[in-house]
Amino acid sequence: MITLTHFLVVSACIFCIGLYAILAKRNAIMILVGIELMINAAILNFVAFGKYDKLHYGGQIFALFAIVLAAAAVAVGLAIILNVYRHYKTINPDHITDLRD
Amino acid sequence: MHDFVANLPQTLDQVIQSVPLFKPELALIGAFLAVVCATLFIDKHWKQSSFMIYIGGLLISFPLLCQQLGQPDRGFFDMLIIDSFSVYARMLLLFALLVTGVLIRQHFSEKPTRRPLGEVYSILLAAGLGLHLLTATSNWLIAFIAIETVSISSYVLVGYFSEHKRQSEAAMKYVLFGSVSAATMLYGLSLIYGFTGNLDFTAAAHLQGLMAAPVALCTVAILFIFTGIGFKLGFVPFHLWTPDVYEGAPTPITAFLSTIPKIGAIVLFSRLVHAWLPTPFYFSEVTYLFLVVVAIVTMLVGNLIALRQQNIKRMMAYSSIGHTGFLLMTILAISNNNQEVLLFYLTVYTLMNLATFAFIDAIECTTGSVELSDYTGLGKKFPLLFTCFTIVGISLVGLPPTAGFIGKLLVFTAVFEVYQSSKDILFVLLLIIGTLTSVISLFYYFKIPLFSFLRKGDDESPVTPLNNRLAALLGIGITVLLLVLGLFPNIVLEFLR
Repeated sequence: MITLTHFLVVSACIFCIGLYAILAKRNAIMILVGIELMINAAILNFVAFGKYDKLHYGGQIFALFAIVLAAAAVAVGLAIILNVYRHYKTINPDHITDLRD
Repeated sequence: MHDFVANLPQTLDQVIQSVPLFKPELALIGAFLAVVCATLFIDKHWKQSSFMIYIGGLLISFPLLCQQLGQPDRGFFDMLIIDSFSVYARMLLLFALLVTGVLIRQHFSEKPTRRPLGEVYSILLAAGLGLHLLTATSNWLIAFIAIETVSISSYVLVGYFSEHKRQSEAAMKYVLFGSVSAATMLYGLSLIYGFTGNLDFTAAAHLQGLMAAPVALCTVAILFIFTGIGFKLGFVPFHLWTPDVYEGAPTPITAFLSTIPKIGAIVLFSRLVHAWLPTPFYFSEVTYLFLVVVAIVTMLVGNLIALRQQNIKRMMAYSSIGHTGFLLMTILAISNNNQEVLLFYLTVYTLMNLATFAFIDAIECTTGSVELSDYTGLGKKFPLLFTCFTIVGISLVGLPPTAGFIGKLLVFTAVFEVYQSSKDILFVLLLIIGTLTSVISLFYYFKIPLFSFLRKGDDESPVTPLNNRLAALLGIGITVLLLVLGLFPNIVLEFLR
């Protein structure tokens, strides 16, 4: 029997994996992947909780919007990273440090 | 599912009834679509068409907004809240969008780019739509969509031109930092939704759910949510992107970033804080302590780091962080019957920053530099511009006879009143830090007249004519407005009450 707790544990694990991918920051694309994992963890939570909200379906609706917004943000992010690659010939954030105090 | 189908006719009826409340935003949506079409088809024949449609859309939206004045209402199942708070904030947004639009047009007519400008106006309108929603909602779903709309538009605005390395770097830092904050906020929202089963943060069910929630998880969820809002507002510790992005983005885009998204985010945050603070439960305490600590640290960090900046755009970035701390203090101090304090300070802050960036832009278009040391001796060449720049600096510090003084005075009075009624020592601390940082800010704003008037430049260099006159004129106009508001603040205050 799969209960709500199982979903929450899985989503917490996915969130942490995403966070690790971001904090390790070897590559801008990997950071985007990490962001996507974090968003998907949240979406999983929303759908799992949405089971108990039969009247408004708030969780399901939120999940749908979150998927669309994540896709839009990632599309913009990839375009910007492509631009950075054209200028720097690298996408390792540690090597892109022209702007600093 | 059957319950849902049975309610469908009523649901549709309410949606249709609510549509008239959405008129100002519909005007923006219409203008957005028209600008997209104009960029594709008409701009080849008449270059100004997209700009004209942009201005037209804002001007149509404004009277539609005025109709909502004094008629509080709710629509779309309480997802849209029309009250005086949101109407004034949206008026301010429209004004700021108008000014930034003009600044962008002037900047890029001085420094032509190979990219079509029309798309910038459409993105500005999309950002405006998101911010309109942000000021008029207490629903997490709408708030999240609005924040993401604004964020994605801002990423595009910063990265659109990417003419040199720094611009693309700024855009990358912005998009990565912003997306991480948004993802974190989404996870926090999913937890909050799990506790409460409700997405309206003012609803009784929502508050009850939070009261019953486990302490540790509730704290995590609240802090995660504040991450997302904190990124938009740029308070410590989510301010790290601010200086880099402000420095890297084209100057008129920086003018946009430093003012307009903050208006929307601060209104949402103020609604949230006022819904969550009054209960005696754990989540209220977390919110309260978080806000006090963050306000103090933000004011200190912003103003202290600004002292050692040599690039004026970076300096303004830290100054805007300091002002964000001040705005957080204002949120704590106001209640439902003195919202005009927050609105007045927000108006003044917007005017001051727009004027500052208009001047920076005019000087950048003339001398090609944004370093403070390159301002040496420019005061003699452009006396009027630098006099006004100095007045705006005085206003940013908060000295009379400018509007900045009145704004700070109102805020300090409100904080002191709260202290007198609650006797909470934290408010005294806020008051002290607020005054102290205002004094600190004197030292870096006064670098502008120091370099331009007092330091001797090489008088040999020929007097170059000022490029981008309209930006300078706009800045001068706003400076006059700031002086008028400083002498007769009641013009606006009466209106806001």
